[in-house]
This record gives sequence, structure tokens and C-alpha cells, in this order.
Amino acid sequence: MQEVQGKLLNGLEASKLDQFVQDLKTKPDVAKAVNGPWRSRVEWQGGLKAKGYMRNHVASFDEPEGLGATDSAASAHEHILSAVGACMMTGFIFQATRKGIKIHNCEIALEGTFGNILNWAGLSDEDTPGYPEIKAKMYVKADATPETLEKIWNEAWKRSVVTQTVAREVKVTPSFEAL
Amino acid sequence: MDDSSLFPVTVVGSWPRPPWLIQALRKRQAGESSFKEFNTVADDAVLASVKQQEDAGVDIVSDGEQRRDNFYSFVVEKLDGIKLMTVAQLLDFVKDRASFEESLRALDVPAFAMKSPVAIGQVHARDSLALDELKFLKEHTDRQTKIPLPGPYMLTRSSWFPGLSDKAYPEIEDLGREVSGILRREVLALKDAGADFVQFDEPVLSQVVYGAEGAETFMCAALASRKDPTQELSYALELMNRTVQGISGIKLGVHVCRGNWSRREDVLLKGNYGPLLPYLTEMKVDQLVLEFATPRAGELEVFKEYGDEKEIGLGVVNPRSSEVESSDLIEKRVIDATKLFDPSKIYLNPDCGFGTFAERPVNDATTASAKLRSISTAAKRLRQGIPIAA
Ligand SMILES: [Zn+2]
Repeated sequence: MQEVQGKLLNGLEASKLDQFVQDLKTKPDVAKAVNGPWRSRVEWQGGLKAKGYMRNHVASFDEPEGLGATDSAASAHEHILSAVGACMMTGFIFQATRKGIKIHNCEIALEGTFGNILNWAGLSDEDTPGYPEIKAKMYVKADATPETLEKIWNEAWKRSVVTQTVAREVKVTPSFEAL
Repeated sequence: MDDSSLFPVTVVGSWPRPPWLIQALRKRQAGESSFKEFNTVADDAVLASVKQQEDAGVDIVSDGEQRRDNFYSFVVEKLDGIKLMTVAQLLDFVKDRASFEESLRALDVPAFAMKSPVAIGQVHARDSLALDELKFLKEHTDRQTKIPLPGPYMLTRSSWFPGLSDKAYPEIEDLGREVSGILRREVLALKDAGADFVQFDEPVLSQVVYGAEGAETFMCAALASRKDPTQELSYALELMNRTVQGISGIKLGVHVCRGNWSRREDVLLKGNYGPLLPYLTEMKVDQLVLEFATPRAGELEVFKEYGDEKEIGLGVVNPRSSEVESSDLIEKRVIDATKLFDPSKIYLNPDCGFGTFAERPVNDATTASAKLRSISTAAKRLRQGIPIAA
């Protein structure tokens, strides 16, 4: 591992990453805080539009025109593909940077096909309305051997928060209140 | 009949790069060496390419495009105001991102690996585009020389990007005028320096006609903004004629093919030349350099009413296959062509280059040599009086 105090690698400060890992290791309150809870508040915007408010950020959602919606933003099932990819990428860049590897380009192409849209529409109980499979292909150009990079990639998706959330059939706890 | 000037053998341009040249190219692209340093390495590659063409009996040789990354993006080394951008960088400026996504998926390539030259300011020729290539080539061969140049339509279409180019060129036509001026001056300079043949590459014309939605070959990024085919073809014609109007004393050609980036025939475009011919024949060039060696190129018969208007650079071998076409097969193809074209106007060449993209050659040099040898064997026999269909 290459220690470069205050120097940027892949747009990150290696020393800060090390400090962060050190804190996770030694300070239980830091780990606890990073664990969450993480939150989102989703507000209806009329039609099939919605906005998700997350801390001081906001993301817009809509549905393609086929649904009579306005296609003004990506739909939730597309956002989740991006979220899976972005999370995998975070892990990859984090691990590669800690190993002192310079990344030139990094891109992930994701794809999912619904199990059965009729299930979503309430017309069938067969199969699943969700993606039975999400394909994620990483393309990377970096100063390391393909073997090293693939090892980091495998670590990255196996330890990715979002990937493991969708891959593990997370228990979603819905509750309800009409006003 | 016996005429030694019949059926000149030539190439479309590119030759597979040796690994050490690719290495030097990568260094150049990473900014770790100058274009001059790269060119010193490329000199050796050009010499090897020319030697192989000569040994294979090619009459009109090229320099194998060894100094170029590909047939159009190399212009960024020679022009100011034009920059190589990746599709990843362009994504924020693309209107129809969804169609880009389709193309990337079809090709299984990352957006950061696809590059296109984009006009980001006033475009000026810092250097001549190919004069250096011609000079070196002429110093090292006695054969006639061919210089391929990016066609004015392709260069304009691929370089004009709304949001990036419109400050310097509000409309694509404004850039088109600049580009045809630059290419025209280039042709005149090449002519003065003794080039025998300048070939404009306009492969995107087939994409304009046959590039169905979702199945685009993705030759250049900005095609997403194209208008309807007839308008595009008229514009291509206008640009070409503005570029070459009144120029004589040098052979001018235009090359159109259906993509040369994959060895998989099923992913390349297909369709005959019919819809293109009314425009191609109006171009003030001497020769149409076309592919005919695969069924994708469609039937020759569409040339019936245009047969004698232009010289034809007859594609007689597939540059992308491992098996070498026999000279018998090539002879047969030429004899078939003589039913439609005046034999004195037929030139023989492969369907396209052997290494259109430096990093993704469609063949190896050994096979490429063998294919060219097969063409020249066929040409020799045909010249010695194999009966030409009346
Ligand atoms: Zn071609």
C-alpha cells in the first residue's frame, strides 16, 4: 500500500481513507453512526411523479409514457440499477485507491428484466414483479493487472451495501397510516 | 485481350498495426510522448506495411494508416479547435441518450472507450492532414500512392455537437463550410506533392440509410442528431462537391462500406447501394470504392443504369475473414462485374481496410497479405486475356 499524505489519488486522499478505516476499527460509535439509520422521504408530485428527499439531497422519479406518465425522470426500478452500480463502484474505487491503484476510467453497465409485469399489475401471482437477476458489467482501465482488478471487483460487489440489500431479499417492513 | 493497365490492384487504406506500434500509440494517447516521437516509431510500421503491399503485388499502395488511431479521429493531431472526446464525456450533451445506450449495449463497449472528434472552437489546420504521410510514402515506394482522407460529411457530422460546437459554429452547415475548405486545401496540397489517388472515406453514408434504430453501428457519436436520410445524403453530396469542385490532375474517390469494426457479419449493416447511387454518382469524383465481397453489400444489379458513370473500386475480398479467397473466385467476381462496368474502369481492392481501428484490427498481416496476393494473381490472369464477358 502506498501512503501519500495529502496527495490525491483517483480524486481521493489516501490518508483520509486510511483514517476512516482506522476509525471504523477502533471507534464503535463511528461504526454505529455510519451504519445508520439511513432515510428517504418520498413525496408524491402528481401523476406518477415522485421526489425522494435524502438528507439535503433530492432525486426525481417518474414512469415511462407507456403508463400514461410523463417520463420526466427515471423510474424507481431504474434508479435501483443505478444505485446498485454506484454502490459497487464506490467499493471498487475505495479498495483500489487504498491499494494505491490509479484508475483511468471506470464504468458499470447494468441491466434487469422483470420476472412478470402481470404480477405487478395484480393480474397474476406467478413469478415475481421484481428483477430475478441484475446483470452488472464493469469496464475499467487502471494501472494494475486484470487479475488484481478483478479481485477488487469481486470484493467490491460482494461487499456492496446496495447489492447485498437487493440480493439478500431484505425484509421490507411496510407500515401504513391514512390521513 | 492483353492490357497490362487493366484491373489495377489497390487497398482501401488501413493495415493491421504491429504490437509495438500499438504500445507507442497508447503512450502517445496517454500524453507520455509527442506526436513526433510516435511518428518515429510509426515510420518503421509504414515501411513494413508498404513492403507487404508491394510484395503482394499491389499497384497503388497506401501507408497502411499506421500513423492514425483510426480513419477519422487522427485529425485531432493536425487541427486546432477539434478535440477527441469520449462518449462518456458526451453523454451530458446528447439529446437521445437512450439510442446511445442501445449502441453501447450492442457493441458491449464502455462509453469511455468510444471516441469522437468534436469541434470545440474555431477549427484551423495546424498542420496538413496527410502531407507528412504522403512525403514519407513517396520516399519509400515507386508504386502509385493512395491517401485516404475522412470524407467531408463524416467529419462534419461526427464533429458538430450541440452544446459544444455551436459557439464557434451555430449550425452544422457553418462547420461543414470550414471542413470542406480544409479538405479542399488538403487535396490541392497532396496533388502538388504528387499523390496519385485521394480517397474520401464516407462509411457513415450507409448508416444514414441502413442504420436502423437500436441497431446502429455507432461509427460516430453525433449521428444521433441526424435528420432524414434524403436530407443527409443531399448534404453529403453538397459537401463533397464543394470540397472537390474543379480539381483535376489527381484521382479522387469516395469509399462507402457498411462498417468494419467487427468480424461478426450479423452485427454489420446490410443493404444494396441502390438508395445511395443517385447521390454517389453526382459526386465530382472519379471512382467509387465499394464493397461487394459479402452478401451484405447487396446485388450488383442496382448499378445497371449507372454502370459507366464512374470508375469502380471493386471490393473482391472480405477483409474480416480468416479464409483467403481463391484467385479463381476473385476472377469470377471481376468477370461478373464486367457485365455491368467497363473493364477499363475496374480497380480491384478489398472491401475495406484490414485495420480500420488501431486497437481492433479485423485481420492479421499474414492473412491480409495473402488476400492481396490472391487479388493480384487474379488481376494478372485477367490481364492476360481471360475472356471478358461481352
Ligand atoms: Zn470501409
